[in-house]
Amino acid sequence: MSKIQEIQEMVSKGKTKVVAGLVQEALDEGKQPKEILDAMIESMGVVGDKFSAGEIFVPEMLIAAKAMSKGVDVLKPLLAGDSSVSLGTCVIGTVAGDLHDIGKNLVSMMLESSGFTIVDLGVDVPADKFVEAAKENNAVLAACSGLLTTTMPALKQTSLALKDAGFKVMVGGAPVTPEYAAECKADGYAPDAGGAVTKAKELVKA
Amino acid sequence: MLSKKQNLLETISGGKPDRFVNQYEFMDIIMECPMGTMAGPGQTIVNEWGITFSWPEGQIGGFPVHDEEHIVLKDITKWKEQVKIPPIVTDDAAWAAAVEHSNNIDRNEVYATVFVAPGLFEMTHHLMSMENALMAYYEEPELMHELIAALTERELAYAAEVIKRVKPTALFHHDDWGGQTSTFISPEMFEEFFVPAYKKIYGFYKDNGVELVVHHGDSYAATFVPYMIEMGIDIWQGVMTTNNTPELIKKYGGQISFMGDIDSGVVDFPNWTREIIDREVERACTNCGKHYFIPNLTQGLNFSSFPGVYEETSEAIDEMSKKMF
Repeated sequence: MSKIQEIQEMVSKGKTKVVAGLVQEALDEGKQPKEILDAMIESMGVVGDKFSAGEIFVPEMLIAAKAMSKGVDVLKPLLAGDSSVSLGTCVIGTVAGDLHDIGKNLVSMMLESSGFTIVDLGVDVPADKFVEAAKENNAVLAACSGLLTTTMPALKQTSLALKDAGFKVMVGGAPVTPEYAAECKADGYAPDAGGAVTKAKELVKA
Repeated sequence: MLSKKQNLLETISGGKPDRFVNQYEFMDIIMECPMGTMAGPGQTIVNEWGITFSWPEGQIGGFPVHDEEHIVLKDITKWKEQVKIPPIVTDDAAWAAAVEHSNNIDRNEVYATVFVAPGLFEMTHHLMSMENALMAYYEEPELMHELIAALTERELAYAAEVIKRVKPTALFHHDDWGGQTSTFISPEMFEEFFVPAYKKIYGFYKDNGVELVVHHGDSYAATFVPYMIEMGIDIWQGVMTTNNTPELIKKYGGQISFMGDIDSGVVDFPNWTREIIDREVERACTNCGKHYFIPNLTQGLNFSSFPGVYEETSEAIDEMSKKMF
């Protein structure tokens, strides 16, 4: 098994204590930082697919993302200034009136693991704050979460405000359906964190 | 006509109920017990564990606040220092209203029910945040076992007090284990961390006068049903349609009963209508049938978020009883 394959396996198994060391060993062997990063992103893609398929659960996904982040910490100084390694900035948050953060955090973690730079605005985020943050960070994507039937109007309002300001928008959360996403004029919708990564990549490449 | 209690027993034993059990009618829930502070609409409170809860005005529930400043248990390796387990309330005055309520219940007609929330799984993520708790099951399993053992002991101490004071005949216990379409953790992890603890808790209640254990979880948890049976749960309240309730009844009816299948999110929202309620009640009653099933909103107490929905649902269930019995 190559060092790269070993890193991929340890990321997918969530071995948080060994990934950093393996990444350093791969660098010492002469592997390029970008190659190592891409391998880890690919591994997290598989993790996301397994989650979407119900083969693994939230802890497995979280721990894999954490393992990857340990490897990314080693690569960061070497990748600084290399714009080709990021898919761009995504601003993410839970809409006004809604304090749910689990789904939003999972999507955030998975998007970061897939190569996006994440600006997490937290929970209970008003539409104007979303727009302001998207502008400030030159975002390529805004991801809005809403978990309550009562905050669906806020989700729609936020999505429409972001669209008016010229941003691409993804929406998600338990009550959200593809039909409601269309009503929000969102560019994308995904039913879970694994699907969100696929959709986000599609949107920024479109 | 059977009493509410008799009708419940006929329903969950596969006997001869004379109507649908209508939502929570068989439980008189003694909410006056001094279990702990909970946030009301528009409030932000810090409870006895130090956990901050916020319930935004106009929304339908309270949530623990988990920014860095507010997380109670920041480092699982220091749980013994960071988690201050609050004492059980033991003074007579604090229990007086609960005792009075209990004394006024007609125990031939309904179950004298005590309410316990949050459950063990919820307590771990209320203390730690969901992400940190879920990762800790992997990274520090021994410490999570220790923490859950301590939470279990605290639940048992509360159980002893509540049994002594109000002599309940039913327990209504909350612990949500999943989202709409999946459990948060795998069945294997659930079996390792939670099944032994709940066997202790529910066993203790049943050894001390509780005849009926009703467990609330309004999520997907179909894969946990064998464990629910092992723990001693008689009725799973909150079962969402995503679990395929008719299939669960076919598979496990007689060992456990199912209460719900009318998803609150579908019927209980600002623009609710009686037509939607009628449609959902008819679907649930027709598909799930007369045995091992109690039609009910999936909400974890006997009310709705929007005024009128609970009562109209009860009326719609009565109408289905007239049609089907």
